[in-house]
Amino acid sequence: MEEQNVHIPKRPFWSGTVTIGLVSVPVKLYTMTFDKAFSFRFLHKQDGQPLKYQKVCVKENKVVPWEDTVKGYEVTKNHFIVFEKEELRAAEPQSSQKIRIDKFVDYLSVDPIYFEKSYALTPDKNDEAYSLLLTALQTMQKAGAGKITLRTKEYPVLLHAYKGALVLTTLRYAYEIADPGSLEELKELKEPEKKELDLAKKIVADLSGDFDITEYKDGYEERIRQLISKKMKGETIVAERPVKEEAKELMVALQETLKQLKEK
Amino acid sequence: MSNIVRLAIRNLNRQHDEWRMEMSYVERLTRVEFTNLSKVLYPEKRITKAKVIEYYVKMAPRMLGILADRPMVLTRFPDGVGSEGFYEKDLPLGTPSWVQRFKTYSEAAQREINYVVCNDLDTLIWLANLAALELHMTLSKTDELEKPDLVLFDVDPRPPADVYNVIDVTLLLKERLEALGLRSYVKTSGKKGLHVVVPIAREYSFSQTREFVHQIAKYLSKESSTVVSEFSKVKEPRTVYVDYLQNSHGRTMICPYSLRAVPQATVSMPLSWHDVKKGLKPEKFTLFNAVESPSNPWERLFEDKQKLKV
Repeated sequence: MEEQNVHIPKRPFWSGTVTIGLVSVPVKLYTMTFDKAFSFRFLHKQDGQPLKYQKVCVKENKVVPWEDTVKGYEVTKNHFIVFEKEELRAAEPQSSQKIRIDKFVDYLSVDPIYFEKSYALTPDKNDEAYSLLLTALQTMQKAGAGKITLRTKEYPVLLHAYKGALVLTTLRYAYEIADPGSLEELKELKEPEKKELDLAKKIVADLSGDFDITEYKDGYEERIRQLISKKMKGETIVAERPVKEEAKELMVALQETLKQLKEK
Repeated sequence: MSNIVRLAIRNLNRQHDEWRMEMSYVERLTRVEFTNLSKVLYPEKRITKAKVIEYYVKMAPRMLGILADRPMVLTRFPDGVGSEGFYEKDLPLGTPSWVQRFKTYSEAAQREINYVVCNDLDTLIWLANLAALELHMTLSKTDELEKPDLVLFDVDPRPPADVYNVIDVTLLLKERLEALGLRSYVKTSGKKGLHVVVPIAREYSFSQTREFVHQIAKYLSKESSTVVSEFSKVKEPRTVYVDYLQNSHGRTMICPYSLRAVPQATVSMPLSWHDVKKGLKPEKFTLFNAVESPSNPWERLFEDKQKLKV
């Protein structure tokens, strides 16, 4: 239970080329970041069976099969423009299988607030071009900035060297990030007094150190992990069959009798 | 997150899918593993096994006291009333280890028998789950099997004698017992007759209690022309037989509140003596209404240990 590594998956989920002007570097992409791989399933409290989601028509209160669904854009409340699946598919961007690099920037000049998801790149077939690009970025401390099309969305990306690999990070668009300066509470901040500022600076200096992500643990996840191992050692987790209607009455009777016998 | 935990969670999920055990929330309240709850055991009344178990659960507070420490004989109807049932004296196969048992030599069977003893709610539920509709119990307890604490008068009509004749005879019996200074308790047999029980100190042998009942039966047969006291005359029509032979080692009585394996799902219903009069209909006490009877007329059954003049 100590081991906490996140492993790179066995299969690439995308392959294509990094293009820099006329130069092409064939690459494969592996998912590198994982959101909370830990998850629960919803169960029915009374019988412990897994619950599933279904699309239910609001008017008929009936489950609608996938073939009978279309997508709607809500123009005003409860007014939709309807799209067939084919219409939307036709509008999807052509996946060019390319990571187009436009320019090289200082990696640290890009605020991490834009960073969305990172992918590890590996050479596809031929690793000479890959090795060349990796070494160049490493020695110059630069990152390539450009664009990728994944599924139906185009992303700005940053390509940099990390732990001996080329890593692609998708970025958020400018309009996807709010400007905190526009928050009311921040508009009229009081200037600190010099004495206070000196004290604050001293505290910061005293607590300065190197950043180490492994110092941080998810306490909640750890507690849940402990609970899981306890339960696995044999308590209370039982797989069950649905309780039938008549068994419910039986249960009520049983509870009442147990209570009566206890009182005796 | 570690792979081991991920694996564990996946395994738990798989167990949810794969386990098809007869488990439910109900069963966390009992050690019994229920089977075939929706099986119909009384076809005419559409009574399922779940209902039968529910009945015994509800009656348990009244039954467990009298059942305690007594070897039991079961009449099981796994396929319901109307199909072939069977008597079972020995522990059934697969009896859980927590069910109490009592091993003794049976003269009738000429061998050792492992009887079920119902000393707790779970055992009663387990018996109901076995479709042991009828619960028969001995008139003595395991610690002194040869010394009965109950004396039984089984008052049984022979057609065309009917319930009126039975009531007459039973009231006559009650008077006789009162004259001897004995308090008695009455219940329906769940079939055509009535049972009268006298709780006694455990000082007498079965041959003594049997002879006691026999003497009173003979007395009644002199008082009333309908009464027969001898097994040889049982076949005579229009008579009421007061059976004394049941007061014997290894013989049993249908337990108070036990269901009977008849289509109407009647029960052996304990009564107050003032209910035993013209108009009493023993067949009206069934699984459906026995629960509603407000009190247990047999509640004080064991309060004093009566002496017999033998």
